Amino acid sequence: MRTVLCYGDSNTHGQIPGGLTLDRYGFEARWPGILAQALGSDWRVIEEGLSGRTTVHDDPVEGAGKNGRTYLRPCVMSHAPLDLIIIMLGTNDLKARFHQPPSEVAMGIGCLVHDIKELAPGPRGSIPEIMVVAPPPMLDDIKNWAGIFKGGPEKSHELALQFEITADSLEVHFFDAGSVAACDPLDGFHLNQHAHQALGLALAREVEAIGWK
Amino acid sequence: MPDMRFAPPNPLRIADRASGLNAVSVRSYNERLVLSLLLQSGSTTRLEIGERTGLSAQTVSVLVRSLEQEGLVAKGEAQKGRVGPPTVPIVLNAEGAFSIGISVGSHQTDVVLIDFVGTARFHATLPNPATDRSTNHSEFLQTIREAVAMLPKKARERLAGVGLALPHRAADGRDHEAYFAALQSEIEEQLGIAVFVQNDITAAASGESMFGVAKPLADYLYFYLGARLHGRLVLNHQIHNGNSTVSFDVGLAALERTLAGEGQATAPLWARDAAWPDYGAALEGWEDRLTDEMIQSLIAVSQFVEFTTVVLASRAPRDICDSICRKLSSKLPRLKAILGETGPSPKAVGAASLPFSSRFMVD
Repeated sequence: MRTVLCYGDSNTHGQIPGGLTLDRYGFEARWPGILAQALGSDWRVIEEGLSGRTTVHDDPVEGAGKNGRTYLRPCVMSHAPLDLIIIMLGTNDLKARFHQPPSEVAMGIGCLVHDIKELAPGPRGSIPEIMVVAPPPMLDDIKNWAGIFKGGPEKSHELALQFEITADSLEVHFFDAGSVAACDPLDGFHLNQHAHQALGLALAREVEAIGWK
Repeated sequence: MPDMRFAPPNPLRIADRASGLNAVSVRSYNERLVLSLLLQSGSTTRLEIGERTGLSAQTVSVLVRSLEQEGLVAKGEAQKGRVGPPTVPIVLNAEGAFSIGISVGSHQTDVVLIDFVGTARFHATLPNPATDRSTNHSEFLQTIREAVAMLPKKARERLAGVGLALPHRAADGRDHEAYFAALQSEIEEQLGIAVFVQNDITAAASGESMFGVAKPLADYLYFYLGARLHGRLVLNHQIHNGNSTVSFDVGLAALERTLAGEGQATAPLWARDAAWPDYGAALEGWEDRLTDEMIQSLIAVSQFVEFTTVVLASRAPRDICDSICRKLSSKLPRLKAILGETGPSPKAVGAASLPFSSRFMVD
């Protein structure tokens, strides 16, 4: 039995495009659910998706709980041993209040990778497999979120390259979610059911491709 | 002391989007390991790469992604597993690299252009150049240019080089070493393409190991039947005795002498893709002498190494080669004799495999 932790934001939580924060797809429709079904009974999939989660920032508006770095430590420790940790974050770092260029968001992802390696929550205290997933780029029209994410859509197109550079230099797995899924036009930055489905299946193949004995 | 964890990421690797092949100097040993595996087996998985190289899954992942971006490897067709998601193998991208091979035979010169999986995309046969020292090699250069022009413009950047298969014929008056050295520097100078030189029989055996019937074989004995009979021993995918000049005068030249003595036509022996006329008893006798010589070699080698397969390559017609293989198998029943399949010209295809092994494989 293997265990994978899906560490992400609203697009891992399964927030419905154009809906309210409380509107969430059911487990089977969210990508971790699709992943669980595709991987089969050999795998246990743990969901850790929080709307508004950043890579390493306390959110001055939404609160310190959105900081992906401070929560990662207790989260990983409570779920250890973990064979694989999938991180899909970064979109919320593009909020205007954080003033982050894409390369800085990638640095935040790098911090999480370093923290995981330091914690070594894999089997028998090893470093688990880590997969950095770049979120699909935001659409140009993000409706009434335009102010909060001012300048964000443009930056979001650069995340995949910056994340891949980080993944390569830290020697971890990488996948570009934008290669299989796009954001829904209803709000321009959330994934609809089709996108969750496509992403879950693609990640299942990526997980399989890592090669497990 | 600064905390190196928070230094800018090392930009050396990969996630650039450069097109074309990486320069030779930055091809890492680990990348060569992965490409060697693929050139040897054609298809693999990240798990297998990890097991064969001892590299971690995450390192393999970065390597494979880098090679994918460079266009050298691609995702193969998904294989549905018993449980879980389908397995997607890693394969060589046929369009990932190209190579030109030149082999100067006893009667003519072959030039081929092959892709990364060994398929010949271009093949030309030229008369051998005159032995006159003042001859330049414009006919080669022109043919190489034609071969390069076959490639779409974007693929021309993906030419790994030119391989030259060099014959060692002691009896031949020409100084082949000097001739090929001159040709090598001329091609490199005039066309700006890297040139790699090797003994032609060794090259033909390498080509068979990389692209032909010998791909799955770790150990085998390789015979090349040309004007003379040449042999090479391949152990654990490595070709031994690479530059041996020993060969046996039981090849096509010997047959030619016999036929000429009987007043029979000998031109078909050297013609390309031509069936031989019925040579009758002369052919039968030659096949016997040839296979006897081969068997002596086989017996001599089997004192030291146990092997079960012999690969025969030749430009002789297929029915003749089949008959030779049958004779071998009937005289040594536990031996499997098979025909090489790196046509149209085993030596030229072998020559073309040289730039691949030099640039992409570990020694």
